[in-house]
Amino acid sequence: MTNETEWIRLAREGDQAAFGRLVTAYQAPVYNLAYRMLGNAAEAEEAAQEAFLRAYTHLRSYDLQRPFRSWLLSITSHYCIDRLRRRRITWLPLEDEIAAPARLASDSPNPEAVTVQREQEERIQQLLEALSPTDRAAITLRYWYEYSYEEIAEGLDLTMSAVKSRLYRARRALAEIIEGETDDAL
Amino acid sequence: MRCEQAGEMMSAWLDDRLNSTDIAFLEDHMAACGACQAEWCRLQALDYLLASAPMARAPARLRVQVMARLNRREQARRAIIGGTALALGTVALALLALAPVLLGLLDATGIAPALISGGPETLAQLLALLRTLGHTLLVLAEKFVIPLALLGLCSLVIAVVLNSLWIGAVRRLRAA
Repeated sequence: MTNETEWIRLAREGDQAAFGRLVTAYQAPVYNLAYRMLGNAAEAEEAAQEAFLRAYTHLRSYDLQRPFRSWLLSITSHYCIDRLRRRRITWLPLEDEIAAPARLASDSPNPEAVTVQREQEERIQQLLEALSPTDRAAITLRYWYEYSYEEIAEGLDLTMSAVKSRLYRARRALAEIIEGETDDAL
Repeated sequence: MRCEQAGEMMSAWLDDRLNSTDIAFLEDHMAACGACQAEWCRLQALDYLLASAPMARAPARLRVQVMARLNRREQARRAIIGGTALALGTVALALLALAPVLLGLLDATGIAPALISGGPETLAQLLALLRTLGHTLLVLAEKFVIPLALLGLCSLVIAVVLNSLWIGAVRRLRAA
């Protein structure tokens, strides 16, 4: 039995320390997914916490044959998609929201490099925000988690052909935005 | 090959989902289609941009926050269970305290002896007993409904007060 399986077993029996180990092991991918989906650090932090709490609540329904990471990221994706849909309903003017950027895993000690990286990061987040919640989740799982079509389909409850067309549609939309920005700059 | 189909194939190619035959088809199409060549360049640039983006780093406090929220939720759950058990216990105690009063009333109205001596030998006797019992309950309800309601209300108030005290105690413990 692996450490992870043992932690899951103990956490299912109410051992919070064992669940804490799972949080430590998966906080980076869960937080990154929430950040890529929601676009700001404060919301991502809150969403990551909520995703872990939901995982703890539903731990008994987790199928041990399935990778725990996929199950956890699926919970996070669905929570962020719901949150984005609710955000659309209770829409706030953009100027009222402070989109705090997250720290990046590759933050360099060189201030100039950090600035360039930050600009690129903001650009990527702006691009992602142009996508629908589900397309955004599909692109995020594909690029930051190297998920296969099968894994994306399972994680987001989509068919394989839907994954394929969503990825194409999302890429095309993003490429058009980039082209538009380039044309404007010229 | 239509350009729309070529676009979908380009996206699949970026994901290594094209076989060599499809790649050859696509390359043939792109060799003859300037628009698709341009789209391929755009998609590749986008692919590079996204693929090179690093993971966002989780704040160090995330684990502590998750565990604190989990702890608070578990304490609240325990307080609710404890409070409910306390309230039910109080109601049960109130009913126990009421039992002699109710039994006394049954005895005074002659219901208890009838229940004991009559026995359900025949259906007619049983029905007669039930009728008597129903009648007596109606009389009791009429005469004692207000005191019983008051007693029930008092039990409820006591249960709510005890519940609040319990939750307050749990919160103080948590704060400590």
